[in-house]
Amino acid sequence: MRKSIFLLSVALILALVIGGCVAPAGPGAAPEPAATQAAPAEAAPAGPFEPMSMAAENCDYGGLFKSIEAVDQMTVKFTLCQPDPAFPAKVAFSSFAINDADYLEATGGGGELIEKPNGTGPYKLVDWLRGDQIIFERNEEYWGEPAIAKTLVFRWSAESAQRLVELQAGTVDGIDNPGPDDFAVIEADPNLQLAKRSGTNIFYIGMNNTYPPFDNERVRQAFAMAIDRQRIVDNFYPPGSSVATQFMPPSIFGYTEGLTWYDYNPDEAKKILEEEGVLPGFKTTITYRDVVRGYLPNPGVVAQDIQAQLADIGVEAEIVVMESGAFLDAADRGEIDGFHMLGWGADYPDATNFLDFHFGPGASAQFGEGFPDIWEALQQGATRALPEERQPFYDTANELIKQHVPMIPVAHGGNGAAFKADVEGAYASDIGAEQFALMNPGGRDTFVWLQNGEPAGLYCADESDGEALRACEQVMQSLLAYEPGTGDVVASLATEWTANDDLTEWVFKLREGVKFHNGATLDANDVVLSYVVQWDASHPLHVGRDGSFTYFPGLFGAFLNAPE
Amino acid sequence: MSATAATASASVEPIFNTKPRGLWSTAFRRLFRRRSAIIGMIILAALILVALFAPVLATHDPVKSLIGIENVQKRQGPCIHWLGCPADQPQHYFGLDGNVRDLYSRILFGARLSLLVGIVSVGFAIVIGAFLGAISGYVGGWTDNLIMGLMDIMLAFPSLILAIAIVTVLGPGLINTLLAIGIVSIPIYARIMRSSVLAIKQQDYVMADRSIGVPTRRILFGNILPNALTPLIVQGTLGIAVAILDAAALSFLGLGAQPPTPEWGSMIGQERNQVFTAPHLIIFPGIALILTVLGFNLLGDGLRDALDVRQRS
Repeated sequence: MRKSIFLLSVALILALVIGGCVAPAGPGAAPEPAATQAAPAEAAPAGPFEPMSMAAENCDYGGLFKSIEAVDQMTVKFTLCQPDPAFPAKVAFSSFAINDADYLEATGGGGELIEKPNGTGPYKLVDWLRGDQIIFERNEEYWGEPAIAKTLVFRWSAESAQRLVELQAGTVDGIDNPGPDDFAVIEADPNLQLAKRSGTNIFYIGMNNTYPPFDNERVRQAFAMAIDRQRIVDNFYPPGSSVATQFMPPSIFGYTEGLTWYDYNPDEAKKILEEEGVLPGFKTTITYRDVVRGYLPNPGVVAQDIQAQLADIGVEAEIVVMESGAFLDAADRGEIDGFHMLGWGADYPDATNFLDFHFGPGASAQFGEGFPDIWEALQQGATRALPEERQPFYDTANELIKQHVPMIPVAHGGNGAAFKADVEGAYASDIGAEQFALMNPGGRDTFVWLQNGEPAGLYCADESDGEALRACEQVMQSLLAYEPGTGDVVASLATEWTANDDLTEWVFKLREGVKFHNGATLDANDVVLSYVVQWDASHPLHVGRDGSFTYFPGLFGAFLNAPE
Repeated sequence: MSATAATASASVEPIFNTKPRGLWSTAFRRLFRRRSAIIGMIILAALILVALFAPVLATHDPVKSLIGIENVQKRQGPCIHWLGCPADQPQHYFGLDGNVRDLYSRILFGARLSLLVGIVSVGFAIVIGAFLGAISGYVGGWTDNLIMGLMDIMLAFPSLILAIAIVTVLGPGLINTLLAIGIVSIPIYARIMRSSVLAIKQQDYVMADRSIGVPTRRILFGNILPNALTPLIVQGTLGIAVAILDAAALSFLGLGAQPPTPEWGSMIGQERNQVFTAPHLIIFPGIALILTVLGFNLLGDGLRDALDVRQRS
């Protein structure tokens, strides 16, 4: 009897403990679309418009922005420290999407902002089931042409074989980056269509010049001769790819016509490395992340081929695979002391997106110490208006990159997306910014898109991975946009934009009557605050997901009030 | 025993005339009577031969890419001349992998790794596990509780998950894989050893030793341990199969043998996305794994039946 009372009381205590732990988590864990929609802060009551503005004391902080101000309710003016001909192209980029000022303040610049984006785009977020899928729904109050499919679903799988099987089985309407060997399979299948992207990207082998022996320029040049890039492209890249002669892809402004890379010459490379005392006996690492991107469709195989090529000249390289996020962070902090395999896809078609981001003064520590002579050339190129004036400086920069060899450019990878044959308007954007609102999934209600990976967050000011940016672009919009297909800058939230003669003052006229998904109306203060929280590192709303806001300093030079 | 001695004693004690069979010789006779055990032994013998003579049997260097050396495509299927492959094409029994290396040669060299992983990690686990189990069973008391409690904690984790955790802490690589699989296999052997020791401890011959004051160490390692070996041998043989599979799983996940080492699990892992376009890259390493594991399992089952006293007719 006593035993049963004891057992009963133990069971009761257990039940209480379990109940206590589970109960509070219950409602939060259950997906409730209604709660999601209610969550964004209510629109502020209409009052007299108080224009916001923010100005730097002077331009000594090293960035591009001098001031951002709301001239009136529907006009925003940016004053720059230097002329910037690429400014509209930068402003159109999805990292600089416009948020509702009240929502930014309500979320504190992070937290809910990352999970529940509140934009002006053709789709609004319904639910994000972490690890599973993101569900979007048509924004019925969209200012432009409404989305064709009522529901849009984003899913992800890192395995190209699984993506293709799902497309063949009909559970998804479109997949990103089919495996290079699968291109022929898709083209032969009457139920599928293949949309190709031209290689507006670069795959490179990076070296950090703060670690010996990579601190020696001759050593880096020798490694540049030791890699047979033609062999890599011929064997491991899909049709439509090309061997890189420089960091810039051929179709993007800033490419130097006729520039060649070091000829493949393993004997010469070996000789130099022996002269410099690196060989014999040099051991190093090849670090990469095992994710498929357009510039690197076959990472593991390419890593092993580079390992084999290095072995041919007597360099013993160990292959290190890192988790994607950890790898990018380690590279940006300059912690990788061997070779690292990485790449870059165009966000907007201009040299600044490639060269300034990687080799400018605001670049990360990925390649170690920067090269002031490259900075100088990029600075000159970025501050001139006409393409023919800018080009000579980029020619110089490309030459200098060849001389200094911070990295070995390998390939511009052709890649693509595949869709069901009945999807109308299917296309693959060269910059990875597909607008699914324009696609008609054969008359069905739902468009399901299967990409490579899950976004880390949906506050894209603080994301740099294309997988996150693509999801943001369905929901969020910037002042300007890129025309699907051509990549030309076109009107979006701003209907017109003008610059003064020396390209330092830019005035954007906002579109009337644009509503955010939470019902707030777009005004100039939303634009000012969306930029200021990124620009001003000391701003209380400068929070983000991890607070790195990689694109802002990459494209606009530096943060204001950056911590020393 | 010499023939003269046998005839000499025959007149005195005829009962010893027929030579008694020992435990081991009986066991081997029983083992060879089982067809499945013989098949297992044949597979394993072949595997050991392949592992030993891999450099002789291999047609190519297992880590050398054939780009620029032969006119071949990556992931090309098998080409065997006497099966109808045109004679002007270079011969590759199992085809080529994604890095244009000969798959047949890689699989041969992979046998070395798999056998090494299986035998070394299980050997390591048996030595440590048997030692812990013997002490636990013989000493008893709080030592027993402590050691067995520890083993129970380790058993509570799924073995592969625990191995992944250990490799993650130690860093990927073949040696760490050996260690991880060895560590997670310890509890099984410790438990088996302990239960054998507990049973043998009560036997009369142990009691006799104790009563005349033989030191504990000698009783434990001289009398008890040899008598408790049988179940360990059976479990060890079966355990090698599990260890090989675990190592392949770790390598599949990229935690085991590092490229370009030819390891079956990592060969499958690296080419997993080509399962439809180049199935030979998955099938051949898979068959190699199946055969190896089958061989050890058949032998292990046979050994168990042969050595288990209770099952004797």
